[in-house]
Amino acid sequence: MITAMVLALVLAIALGMLRFLRGPTDVDRVIALDILFASAVGLCVAAAMASGRELFLDVAIGVALVGFVATVAWARMIDGRADSGRRQP
Amino acid sequence: MSQGGLILAMLGCVVLLIAAAGLFRLTDAISRQHAATKAGTLGLGMILAGAALYGGDWAWGGRALTILAILFVTLPVASHMLARAAAKQRFSREEIDRAPLYPRQ
Repeated sequence: MITAMVLALVLAIALGMLRFLRGPTDVDRVIALDILFASAVGLCVAAAMASGRELFLDVAIGVALVGFVATVAWARMIDGRADSGRRQP
Repeated sequence: MSQGGLILAMLGCVVLLIAAAGLFRLTDAISRQHAATKAGTLGLGMILAGAALYGGDWAWGGRALTILAILFVTLPVASHMLARAAAKQRFSREEIDRAPLYPRQ
């Protein structure tokens, strides 16, 4: 059962990675990063369930926080670049 | 109890996989984000609820609730900022200002 969970999550990571490499705009890449972080949290939970130790749930808390900060930072960067690009001409 | 937790977590993984498939089925950055954020929230919520049921005590449930609270507070903020950046990149300032807030009757 946990093997099937990990397989589904790895497939989701593969799809997200493909979109990350292919994405036509930067926003697509950041959205793919969001999916990758969500899958990483899911993999941490799967590790906790497989090993029976709740230590991995603490790792998942850290991954969730880092994912939020990363998404906000990239969104602000894209936002600022869209502003300055418009003012230039 | 632990069987139910396993099944719930498995369903959450399938929902997360559907969210990742939405990155390819949909055509537009903003609609892709709609798939990723909403289905991702539901999938992670189901995975964490399954983990809390699987563990069965407060050491698991408390941590799962903490992650869930963090995600429910931070994901809407992050997706709002990302959608604003996407809209700014795609439309000009005048187009955004002229767009009606509510559709005309």
